[in-house]
Amino acid sequence: MDFRRLIISVTLAWLTVFVFLPHMLLVGTSFMSPDADHLVVWPTTLANFEKVFTPVYFTVFWHSLELAAIATLVCLLVAYPFAWLLSGFKQRTQAILLFLLILPFWTNSLIRTYAIKIILGKKGLINSALVSMGILDEPVQLLYTEFAVIFGLVYLLLPFMVLPLYSSFDKMDTSLLEAGKDLGANALQRFRHIILPLTMPGIISGCLIVFLPAMGMFYIADLLGGAKNLLLGNVVKNLFLVARDWPMGAAFSVIMMLMMALLLLMYAQANKLVSKKGGLNDENL
Amino acid sequence: MKKLLVAGLALASNLALAQEKVVVYNWSEYIDESVVEQFTKETGIEVEYATFDSNEVMYSKLKLQKGKGYDIAVPSTYYVSKMAREGMLQPIDKTKLSHFGNLNVDLLDKDYDKGNQYSVPYFWGSTAISYDADTLSEGEITSWKDLWDPKWKGQLLLTDDIREVFHMALTLNGHSGNSKNPEEIKQAYETLKSLMPNVLVFNSEAPREPFLSGDVSLGMNWNGEVYMAQQEGANLKYVYPKEGAVFWVDSFVIPSGAANIDNAHKFIDFMLRAEVAKTNAEYVGYASPNSAALPLMDEDVRKNPAVFPSQDDIARGEFHHDIGDDAMKLMTEYWQKLKAGM
Repeated sequence: MDFRRLIISVTLAWLTVFVFLPHMLLVGTSFMSPDADHLVVWPTTLANFEKVFTPVYFTVFWHSLELAAIATLVCLLVAYPFAWLLSGFKQRTQAILLFLLILPFWTNSLIRTYAIKIILGKKGLINSALVSMGILDEPVQLLYTEFAVIFGLVYLLLPFMVLPLYSSFDKMDTSLLEAGKDLGANALQRFRHIILPLTMPGIISGCLIVFLPAMGMFYIADLLGGAKNLLLGNVVKNLFLVARDWPMGAAFSVIMMLMMALLLLMYAQANKLVSKKGGLNDENL
Repeated sequence: MKKLLVAGLALASNLALAQEKVVVYNWSEYIDESVVEQFTKETGIEVEYATFDSNEVMYSKLKLQKGKGYDIAVPSTYYVSKMAREGMLQPIDKTKLSHFGNLNVDLLDKDYDKGNQYSVPYFWGSTAISYDADTLSEGEITSWKDLWDPKWKGQLLLTDDIREVFHMALTLNGHSGNSKNPEEIKQAYETLKSLMPNVLVFNSEAPREPFLSGDVSLGMNWNGEVYMAQQEGANLKYVYPKEGAVFWVDSFVIPSGAANIDNAHKFIDFMLRAEVAKTNAEYVGYASPNSAALPLMDEDVRKNPAVFPSQDDIARGEFHHDIGDDAMKLMTEYWQKLKAGM
């Protein structure tokens, strides 16, 4: 009992000092006035939040959203058939394939991102293979494009899409498919009315699990996109370090936190809805 | 025996307390470590060494600590003037620097610190153009203007540095790269907007890397990066554009709250020795402001235009200095617009 109390109080103290207090400082800073000499001064103001809502930040926000959405969609299209096939293998094979899916996570993601640079480069693996096979006359520009950013995001986040989908497929009762077939449903109808609804919880949680981090992976855009695509994280960094407008940087961070909270709320709502309809929510994953 | 041990320990810790020290805050990979060991061996002064990789981080840290915690820092040109103006530095006593005369007079008494009251040059360098000599022919690129040629669509590298990129555009428009004039900065933004279709990548981590991997064959670069790429076997050439390159100096300064002022002077003086400056220069690859160290250096290094620019190139170029927070804020806003494609 004492041990339990100790663990809980240590954890609470840790979270208070290193998570709660810094965030409160951030929120406080976002209402202060900027000052060149002291970084942050009185009086409190709402001006910082007004400055965030300008066209340039809207463009940046929309662009991040777009990249993340495309990456999520590609992940879904790749992971869905994969998870389906995976669930059809023997238990032992399934375990081995899942293990192989997780294996790359043992290497730091930054190192893997640098490896992608080598693969996509003009003298990289893809270009030299295509040129030597005579498919291309000249190497094409793959690196430092939006394609590279989406490629990187899909590569890094694909397992997060596969796992919830696999779990949905694994729990799917195949006798329902047989019943559907006996009753005269063709392949498309069986997919539309049986498979899709039963795997919907997997689709929803997979999409959210991929979409949220995709918005945050700024280093992918920097390294693979050539730092041309300004993302939300770069804006915050520039405001703090280069423009030294701490209050506005803080206001920007606060708004990003609110956005994350909103998405998580939507996720929770979707979960509730799914379990109400008798589907699987993420507790069953 | 035990008593003896305790006494010995007490003595040792006393010694440790009495030990002289100096706390140095320098750019990462910007010194040959053997030089630091040699300094401690000769003077008995312990060196506590910390590193940073951007002026902004170094400045913020010193600002938050009110100039305390470090005895020496190494800001770039325009941060020297900024920090001096804000009272974050203390004057350097040049009577304590017996090797100050080793320094190249062309690099002293610049606008950012008239009379070198607060700063002693450590290394200097430039931001200009580099190209891959296997792809481009010599004489093809001679000016900043050449980068605007539509034939480079989607192929250029720019440094990921607001001041340097705006400096280029301001110079091209015939203004000072240190302009604070909002009209001139706006015009530079318009000029840069027309360059954006040519830009493939921004890189300030290691601008030589995209050249080495063959992804880029033309763009802005730093002279030391080009020198390093040449050492790594790349056929990279460095061009000082005719409108003038961007020059900067990284200098030793003593923060206002420094605790070991005497030792800081001793450390700076040691670094000014010709032999020591030569060792550092050969390790770091940027230009040494130490004239006395030049004859000691390898001829290949001394005559390499990527390391040392000619007098003409220096005269045409312009050194960075502080433009103030308002102009910087304006540039940052335009920078974000450029990157957002607006």
